[in-house]
Amino acid sequence: MTDLWRGFAVALEPLNLLWALAGVSLGTAVGVLPGIGPALTVALLLPVTYGLDPTAALIMFAGIYYGAMYGGSTTSILLNTPGESATIVTAIDGHQMARNGRAGAALATAAIGSFVAGTLATLALTLTAPVMVRIALAFGSAEYFALMVLAFVTVTTVLGTGPPARPKAASTFAEAPADKSARSRRSSPDWLRAKADKNLSGWLSLLLGLMLGFVGIDALSGQARFTFGVPYLLDGIDPVIVAIGLFAIGETLWIASIGPEQDQPLPVNGSLWMNAEEWSRSWRPWLRGAAIGFPLGALPAGGAELPTLLSYAVEKRLSRRPEEFGHGAIEAVAGPEAANNASAAGTLVPLLTLGLPTSATAAVMLAAFQQFGLQPGPLLFEHEPALVWGVIASLYLGNLMLLVLNLPLVGLWVKLLSIPRPWLYGGILVVASLGAYSVHRSAGDLILVAVIGLLGVGLRAVDAPIAPVMIGLILGPAAEQHLRRALSISQGDWTVFLTRPLSATLLAIAAVALLWGIFRRKPPSTIGA
Amino acid sequence: MIFRGALAILLSIPLILSASTPLTIVAPAAPGGGWDQTARAMQRVLAAIEPGASVQVDNVPGAAGTIGLARFVQSERGNPNALLVTGLVMVSGVITSHSPVSLADATPIARLTGETEVIVVPASSSYRSMQALADAFKADPGAIAWGGGSAGGTDDLLVRLMAEQLGLPASRVNYIAFAGGGAALAAVLGGQVTAAVSGYGEFAGQIAAGELRTLAISAAARIPGIDAPTLRESGIALDLANWRAVVAPPGLSDAERDALTDRVARMARSDPWQKTLEQTGWEDTFLAGADFRQFLLAEQARIEAVLHRLAASDTAPSRRMTMSVVPMTLPITVTSLFAVVLIVFLIQRRSAPRPEPGARRPEPGVVILGAALLIQPLLFTAVGFVASSTLLFTVGSHALRGRGWRAGDSLKDIAIGLVFSSLLFLVFSRGLGVSLP
Repeated sequence: MTDLWRGFAVALEPLNLLWALAGVSLGTAVGVLPGIGPALTVALLLPVTYGLDPTAALIMFAGIYYGAMYGGSTTSILLNTPGESATIVTAIDGHQMARNGRAGAALATAAIGSFVAGTLATLALTLTAPVMVRIALAFGSAEYFALMVLAFVTVTTVLGTGPPARPKAASTFAEAPADKSARSRRSSPDWLRAKADKNLSGWLSLLLGLMLGFVGIDALSGQARFTFGVPYLLDGIDPVIVAIGLFAIGETLWIASIGPEQDQPLPVNGSLWMNAEEWSRSWRPWLRGAAIGFPLGALPAGGAELPTLLSYAVEKRLSRRPEEFGHGAIEAVAGPEAANNASAAGTLVPLLTLGLPTSATAAVMLAAFQQFGLQPGPLLFEHEPALVWGVIASLYLGNLMLLVLNLPLVGLWVKLLSIPRPWLYGGILVVASLGAYSVHRSAGDLILVAVIGLLGVGLRAVDAPIAPVMIGLILGPAAEQHLRRALSISQGDWTVFLTRPLSATLLAIAAVALLWGIFRRKPPSTIGA
Repeated sequence: MIFRGALAILLSIPLILSASTPLTIVAPAAPGGGWDQTARAMQRVLAAIEPGASVQVDNVPGAAGTIGLARFVQSERGNPNALLVTGLVMVSGVITSHSPVSLADATPIARLTGETEVIVVPASSSYRSMQALADAFKADPGAIAWGGGSAGGTDDLLVRLMAEQLGLPASRVNYIAFAGGGAALAAVLGGQVTAAVSGYGEFAGQIAAGELRTLAISAAARIPGIDAPTLRESGIALDLANWRAVVAPPGLSDAERDALTDRVARMARSDPWQKTLEQTGWEDTFLAGADFRQFLLAEQARIEAVLHRLAASDTAPSRRMTMSVVPMTLPITVTSLFAVVLIVFLIQRRSAPRPEPGARRPEPGVVILGAALLIQPLLFTAVGFVASSTLLFTVGSHALRGRGWRAGDSLKDIAIGLVFSSLLFLVFSRGLGVSLP
């Protein structure tokens, strides 16, 4: 603790505060650009820190990192174009909120949720890093596979998430079903009918996602699968490209295909900020998101995808309005955004204590340490306490600065939606294709994103949900690798999943969750009823 | 627009700091591995010795680096500001993964380092010497799970060659491939695998902290600073070095190639680089030009022979992975399931016809938009970002407006699309150094 106070003394020096501010501002500014996620932002801005002394550079750097995390959700919510895999889940409901006129609330809950979860996770990092790392190392392939099974069981609740079948012209949650426009009334028989085979279409989407996940070179054997001799496909299919195609391009095409739109901009309903109901619906997801994100982020094979998906599924399960998920539920933005930021702090656990970078962003952080001849690892805390604790303290301050910086920006961002709709969606198309290109700078990705976009229209046309495609694509390859690795270690003995206590526990939880889901299944409710 | 302006100013900060064209170093492995460390060390040293230089590192992990190699050869062709970190692992990876792209498709630049492999166990392990581990391995080969990098890589090769030296068929080795040294490190620290094999640098921090015990090194002779015997001293007549090198994309002129070689040579001679080598325990084995090309060919021939011997002893990569789940098991299962669900789904839909079939008739604007999206990739490279994006914007706005074509609308769309695309272009290409055609 005294170490942390000393750290604050370092971080609070006026010059260091200034560097932190510069870092978060730059990070936010670059992070909001399409296709530029935190890892790329940090890599692009790393040279800026070269000339500084180690502490100042690392403080600025931490600011850039956190700033980029904040900026990333903005394009997801406003433009339906996630810049990296951590914000894919945010786009599912975040953009629907924007279309319902609640962009301000979505951005605010993302910003405040990120602050709350980021601060809590930093606190957890301060207090539990040595313990966390022991637990994390106990995770072997069997445990990862069990975790993936649990994730699959949990997220199958998302399978019923219908597509945003019709643009709900101007309805908020408050004035929901009674005074819907004629257009959405016309669509309700459709929607009810879709309920009947929603589970089947959900599985269809999930299997499609799983199949997309197999494309490319198999990491364990080096064998090419589903590549049909196309070298481009050897790289596999990036979930971010699929998300941009399905969400941004698919949705724009779908809106255009279901009929003429008015020239009017998207509506802004109610206050710019979160109203009382939205506050009360947000705070629990923030806390749960932090609780899910930090430990999963600390795992050596962690990352932000699993925690954000799990948070979405958990919120949908616990929500009293699960039918709103997929149509702009604020919990579906609050939870995953909190989980995303908490997992970023979790990533710092193996990085600082083991020198083990578990994400692309963490690897760039490692480079930042190494440029000053510092080797993160077990000895770093002993050799450089002032620096490490200074950086940790600056994470708290950076979080606070980001909140102060980003909340006023919400108003500015929402103004972006006051552009007439044809131009807004024309702009989304341009931004989406630019985003798809800049992720890997490959023109092949542009073809893929267009094809996936058309596929997205097809899925919407048959009322198949979109989210399960992303679930299959993200969880599938990881689950397969860990299954095969675990079996390899056990020499083909399947009981390994039950004889290892941690893995058995996780599988037991999965079984309970599965049974609970079967027996607790409510009769299909009509939307908004 | 005021905001856009502010953004542009903010973004120009890195531009001012970085005068030259950014150099991209591709590390074809997961973060934390040896190639990644090499790439990031180069980034650090180049930034130190070339003030204002902008160097970025891209990670493209998987399959012994052949995924990274394929992408590098494909998408960086003719780019004189890109380097790929490569090494022994990639030479064998190309062979085992039947990669259509090989190192011969890239432009050789220089060999930078050689690194000894280390064989480690967790500090809590009961194996205290290489002999003890080798005895247990001989007694029950399957019971020792070896962790390391990609299948068919240096780590994999070393374990299988050791097995042969101990009189075991290479196919009996229970080798667990991880995407990179970082992932293997977590597995051995957590006791998931019995022993791990990797380059010294990837384990150095943990060895220094006493978390890992080094049983042996694969170098021909002892190395100062590493407290471990060689394999030969431990009774296994084998040595293997994991060299690392950089290559450039294909399609460079001789002048471009020489300029890049000079730049790398300057870096390799610099003090910060020498200091890095000292810190990481990498050996300086700099070799460039015709000598390096010769060396690459020789290595290729040697590795191919080794792998053929392994294949002859029944160790085709596809068969030596797992017992019950082969690489194609799950893809085939999932595809079959998908086909079944699709058929059931289609039958269901047929029996329940749409209540409003008219709603599905696509608007003409949408058809044009779909077509525009599909030709966008071609236009993007042919006429450049600004023109193709302006077109996409115009067609998109038109489709969304959904009322017949009016010249006034389209002119406005074109003007706005042009301004918007140009702004994005400036921000990305000038501000961030992300080159757009």
